[in-house]
Amino acid sequence: MRSSFKGGVHPPEEKGLVKDSPVVDFPLSSRYYVLLQQHLGAPSRAIVKSGENVKKGQTLSEPMGFVSAPVHAPTSGTVKEITRMVHPVTGLLGPCIIIDADGKDEWLEGLPAVRDPFTMTHDDLMEAVRSAGVVGMGGATFPTHVKLSPPKGKTIDTFIVNGVECEPYLSSDHRLMLEEPDRVLNGARVAMKILGLEKAYLAIEANKPDAIRVMEQKAPPEIQVVSLKVKYPQGAEKQLIKALTDREVPSGGLPMDVGAVVQNAGTCAAIWDACAAGIPLIERITSITGRGIVQPKNVRVRVGTLLKEVIDFCGGVKDAAKLIFGGPMMGIAQFTSEIPIMKGTSGVLVLTEKDTNISEYSACISCGRCVEACPMGLIPSTLSKLGEKGQWQKAAENNLMDCIECGCCTYVCPARRPIVHFIKHLKALSRSAGAKSKGA
Amino acid sequence: MRQVIYALMPGALIGIYFFGFPAIKVIAVCMVSCIGFEALWQKVSKRKLSINDWSAALTGLLLAMNLPSGAPWWLAVIGSAVAIIFGKQVYGGLGNNPFNPALVARVFLLISFPVAMTTWPQPRSFFAEPTDAVTGATPLGALKTAVFEHHSVTAAPHLNFMDPFLGNIGGSLGEISALALILGGIYLIIRKIITWHIPVSYLGSVALFTGILWGVNPDVHANPSFHMVTGGLMLGAFFMATDMVTSPITNTGKLVFGIGCGIVTVVIRVWGGYPEGVSFAILIMNALVPLINRGTRPVKFGAVQ
Amino acid sequence: MITAALVIGGIGAICALILGISLVTFAVKMDPREKEVMDRLPGANCGACGYAGCAAFAHELTSNADAPMACPAVNAAALQSIIEVLGRELGGVSQVIACVRCKGGIEEASTRYTYVGPRDCRTAQLIAGGSKGCQYGCLGLGSCVTVCPFDAISMGEDGLPHVNADKCTGCGKCVDACPRMIITLVPKSGNYHVGCISKDAAKDMKKSCGVGCIKCGICADVCPFEAITVSKDKAAEINQDKCRRCGLCVSVCPTGVIDSRRKPDKVRIVPDKCKGCGICEQVCPAEAVTGKLKEPFVVNEGKCIGCGLCIDKCPADAIERKPS
Repeated sequence: MRSSFKGGVHPPEEKGLVKDSPVVDFPLSSRYYVLLQQHLGAPSRAIVKSGENVKKGQTLSEPMGFVSAPVHAPTSGTVKEITRMVHPVTGLLGPCIIIDADGKDEWLEGLPAVRDPFTMTHDDLMEAVRSAGVVGMGGATFPTHVKLSPPKGKTIDTFIVNGVECEPYLSSDHRLMLEEPDRVLNGARVAMKILGLEKAYLAIEANKPDAIRVMEQKAPPEIQVVSLKVKYPQGAEKQLIKALTDREVPSGGLPMDVGAVVQNAGTCAAIWDACAAGIPLIERITSITGRGIVQPKNVRVRVGTLLKEVIDFCGGVKDAAKLIFGGPMMGIAQFTSEIPIMKGTSGVLVLTEKDTNISEYSACISCGRCVEACPMGLIPSTLSKLGEKGQWQKAAENNLMDCIECGCCTYVCPARRPIVHFIKHLKALSRSAGAKSKGA
Repeated sequence: MRQVIYALMPGALIGIYFFGFPAIKVIAVCMVSCIGFEALWQKVSKRKLSINDWSAALTGLLLAMNLPSGAPWWLAVIGSAVAIIFGKQVYGGLGNNPFNPALVARVFLLISFPVAMTTWPQPRSFFAEPTDAVTGATPLGALKTAVFEHHSVTAAPHLNFMDPFLGNIGGSLGEISALALILGGIYLIIRKIITWHIPVSYLGSVALFTGILWGVNPDVHANPSFHMVTGGLMLGAFFMATDMVTSPITNTGKLVFGIGCGIVTVVIRVWGGYPEGVSFAILIMNALVPLINRGTRPVKFGAVQ
Repeated sequence: MITAALVIGGIGAICALILGISLVTFAVKMDPREKEVMDRLPGANCGACGYAGCAAFAHELTSNADAPMACPAVNAAALQSIIEVLGRELGGVSQVIACVRCKGGIEEASTRYTYVGPRDCRTAQLIAGGSKGCQYGCLGLGSCVTVCPFDAISMGEDGLPHVNADKCTGCGKCVDACPRMIITLVPKSGNYHVGCISKDAAKDMKKSCGVGCIKCGICADVCPFEAITVSKDKAAEINQDKCRRCGLCVSVCPTGVIDSRRKPDKVRIVPDKCKGCGICEQVCPAEAVTGKLKEPFVVNEGKCIGCGLCIDKCPADAIERKPS
């Protein structure tokens, strides 16, 4: 086991609910809701019209800009309409293509196009990844082709496959690595070929010994499987790079600045599908878990499936008090289950009244627990006090922008202060002030 | 807050055992009037009532434990008013006060009512026959007098270890038993209410400093074990200096803070005009907390080397 | 005793001397008018003038002979006396006040979820865009109330902020604080506004709010002055330059979302001056004027909407407002 990073917390893992349940396929649905913005960056624009027939895997939208990604039809059918529906990340209405399935689930002609990606050129591979709409599947949904194309002048020497999955409850990457290790490893090899690297790490938290064992057996010599200390947020890019290479991504910088590229295990599998078969990112494994779910499951589900149907597939809910897209630490609370599964949905969590503690927060008493917990070496207590007053300029002097919003501070705060919420507020204020000054 | 009150119970009970009913009276008056003043202030200034967060009750208990058991009721009420209003609320309430409210009140009383604040009833068993209260000096006071008048520590009575360790000495009602306070402090550390940094660095630096002095000249300096168990040191190190609001936020800062408290305490005890320096030491270091926080900021991840 | 008195007295004298010298040597030269102007400014340091505070603005006014009156909060009397102090014209300040353009309070508008975080609209907006069913509506947590330096906004029991027109100075702090951009500055002289800025189509909007603008366009149709524009994806908007404050739109709006603060006075025709030309009858949008040519016309007070079009058109200046 390696040395780790400073700070961090040990929340209850709660992985037991789904970590041993094999992935089950979600049956074909009758209607899919494909949001056009499923990635970080510029939106994508629909290129189909309502009433048009589409085939499974057909491109539905074109990216608008380099940092953007297209979306694809999850099954064959007709485009019912192009409308707006609640976007799980923003909570507001976002553009969405509704597809009525015809039940035949026919591939677009020519798919899957089986080929050997190791004989393909760099540019062909990049194009395959880009046009397949692959994005970071750990939750951040940054377009993968952007991460795989470092700008000139940056030398990349380390490729890291992120199989840490440090968020409590979630087990989608764990199951993927256990059940389909070849897709992950081969995808990693393709990514290494694109980056021109000979060596890579596959990082897994020590609480998944079965996955570590399987990976160690299967991994080719150029991919080194590393077991990492169980600590949150071990899977955060910067902390992961620090633990593996002892390099610190400079403040305000990107992993590329220290020669590292990190891809999530699920993303690697998607890269493999895109390059070896031309299959776009239209389905993923997601953990439907939490004590509010009757039968927690790991489900292989098409992107665009209505969450409500998936929850019903898992037996529905009991004593549900809170619905979260993602894990308990960084996930986004939802107010409805009438939202579609997205490319970045690594899990859906339904918490019961007992698991959630909705109570008033009180004054900060400067106990310093958040300072000890912060993996970024910030002083969250100060930021939270500034957040209450909306003083973003002062917060910026206190390294506001270095916050990765991992939630460690909020987790340890004895006064139950919503520290990350305050920090997000400050960041929003600072961004809008920046936009204003640019506009003026 | 409630946990800290639980942790103070052994110390308070020893005080009640040795000083009897007056001790109960002082504790009750302090706690009730602290809660009362907090409620009153919040009512008058139209703020949200926060007496159910237990912080006013804790301040009251801490203040009581810092008063002589024979303190008259009005002294306790004045002290509570100073603690809550001038120690805490004028700064904006819980979380914003720079100084430990109970200590602000204690020092205020000590300077304003020196006689009442230094009339120390001598301990006797709770079950002993009621007699007129006997008053006398605290061990530290006796030491100071002995050193001042005879230039020798041996002239001071009570220079043993076990009496102050168990609490059979004169002093403020909550500070007499080092053992009870240590038990409470360990409880707090186990429950993760406080960290070990301040108590260890505070007690360690007092022991080291007095040890050096004792090593240099044992005739005029008491030995470190005596310094450790007398006065308000244990109460201060475990319960007053560790007040989160008024101590540094980083662990490094807490170590610096504890060492500072230790040094100032010994300087006052050995060379100062007062026999005891814990209250002043903690208040002085409270004032330095912003500076310590600034000096011990954590290094942010990815800071340019 | 005498020595002590002398010593203390001496120390006092020396200190006084030092103070006196430093008063002269370190004196800051200041235009005396600056303080006078400063005293007449509102003193809230709201920053609406664009300067760091009232003192900074007073300095600008006195030191720069071209500096215009940028303080929106100053009242007429204070403005007049500042003009006297400075001895120059300052140009008129357009008097504006804040106007909350949402009528969807607790009863009228639905919520999507229970919000338990910090009581600040800007913070609440971060959680799925706010708990209000309508994504354009007022969140009702009172960020505008908190930032108002003049204590002019209060949160009503209906869950909507209310602007006290007497206290509001139009500094615009609330406009910046509102994450939903509901608050706009409007002319202080009685105005009409649509209390909704929703871009949702009627069927979407009706799900979340009972009083929003449903974009029916009736108001635009009845407006005699073409002051109202409305489209499918934009709530009705009143052009304040064209609006004659007649109030026809208020009376026809099916959801009652158009608000007015003051109705205009009705008009009457002075019979002695009226030449009986009948122009007023032609221009009146409310058919309130009747009469025979060459004879004095009469205004039907019940029908008059007080738009004042006839006043503008009357060649004989025979029409005037009737003070109410």
